[in-house]
Amino acid sequence: MSTGTHRPEDNALAGEYVLGVLPIAERRKVEERMARDSGFAALVQSWQTDLAHLDEAYQPQTPPQGIKARVDARLFAEAAKPAGGLWGSLVFWRGLAFASLAAAAAVGIYSGNLIEQQAPGSAPALVAELGAPGSSVGLIAALDPAEGAFTITPAAFSPDDGKSLELWLVPGEGAPVSLGLVPSDGGRLVLDQPLVQQISDGALLAVSVEPLGGSPTGTATGPVVLSGSLSKK
Amino acid sequence: MRWSRKADNDGSDKRGTYSNMSQDELSGLIARTALGDRAAFSSLYSQTSAKLFGVTLRILKDRAQAEDALQEVYVRIWRRAGSFRVGQASAMAWLTTIARNQAIDLIRARQPATLEYDEAPEVADAAPDPEARAVLSGESRRIDSCLSELDPDRATAVVAAYVEGLSYQELAEQHAVPLNTMRTWLRRSLIKLRECMSR
Repeated sequence: MSTGTHRPEDNALAGEYVLGVLPIAERRKVEERMARDSGFAALVQSWQTDLAHLDEAYQPQTPPQGIKARVDARLFAEAAKPAGGLWGSLVFWRGLAFASLAAAAAVGIYSGNLIEQQAPGSAPALVAELGAPGSSVGLIAALDPAEGAFTITPAAFSPDDGKSLELWLVPGEGAPVSLGLVPSDGGRLVLDQPLVQQISDGALLAVSVEPLGGSPTGTATGPVVLSGSLSKK
Repeated sequence: MRWSRKADNDGSDKRGTYSNMSQDELSGLIARTALGDRAAFSSLYSQTSAKLFGVTLRILKDRAQAEDALQEVYVRIWRRAGSFRVGQASAMAWLTTIARNQAIDLIRARQPATLEYDEAPEVADAAPDPEARAVLSGESRRIDSCLSELDPDRATAVVAAYVEGLSYQELAEQHAVPLNTMRTWLRRSLIKLRECMSR
């Protein structure tokens, strides 16, 4: 593709941008120029096309389970429950958790994105990230006490055929109490009001693998695959 | 050729996961994603996330950061799917660009925002030498053949900058030259490359 009309300086700058060598302030300046100078943007695009042949060097690496669930929680939370603002708060809450894990310099980037998604005036809610020990989040359960319902974002895994996932409230003492079956592709899990009143900030939730339809005995019979604590948004 | 694009033998897996899906199929998934089709987005994720995790991991060199970056990459893919144009870039190249930009922005955010030079870097005469021009007469000039026209250490710097996401500062340290010398080298190399690719 011909770029003969461009000055060498512009060619070099577009190439530097695509290589990625520029410091952050210069990267932003190049992007501003791309937005107002379509000829320069085309030059960047031609560099991207040419250098894309080097992408072969990137070897696939399987990402951990749970990343897609986090992506979905961020993107589709609002759509899952547009009225309450609960999910906007969940996104914000998640963002704080991520920011604390990420390098200090990354905090600004994440919080910058997330603050604008925070819904104002959201109802009090409790949120738990359920994961296996030492691994990523498998699902996110958010309780809206006013409605007495959990909203569950899609789990990162599904049980084998003929099995169900059951959600349990694990009290400080005494036997776990069944909260119901985890909807196979996410959604709402409505609880009886007396059950809702047993659930408070800090409560431990767990998910076990049970026979289809749930535990026949009323207590968890299968392995606990996910667990996590509820906390205020 | 002394520069190498071969990846480190670092225990990578699922080699070529996405390659059993054609670029046309990936383009179709991106197009359906742009229309809000979550099932298509999920397929796109399962077909391409290993490759893009390979990108963020290679550049960020830290699993936790690479995972956070990957999450942000797919948020961006969902939001920007409508800007994908078949013909402008291959589907995989478009996705990889998003992943590279995200990873590079994250590492650059931790580094000084500007470069400090003793003097402004020059972009001087970069006319290709006639001999090299004569050697390369084929129809299709990929980046590989044009890189081979550069001095091997300059070609290595270009490839390392792209694949590893190295900064000017890191390149200068690796090649044991001052920052502005490094920038002058690289900019001249880029102009030679562009000239070669345009022939």
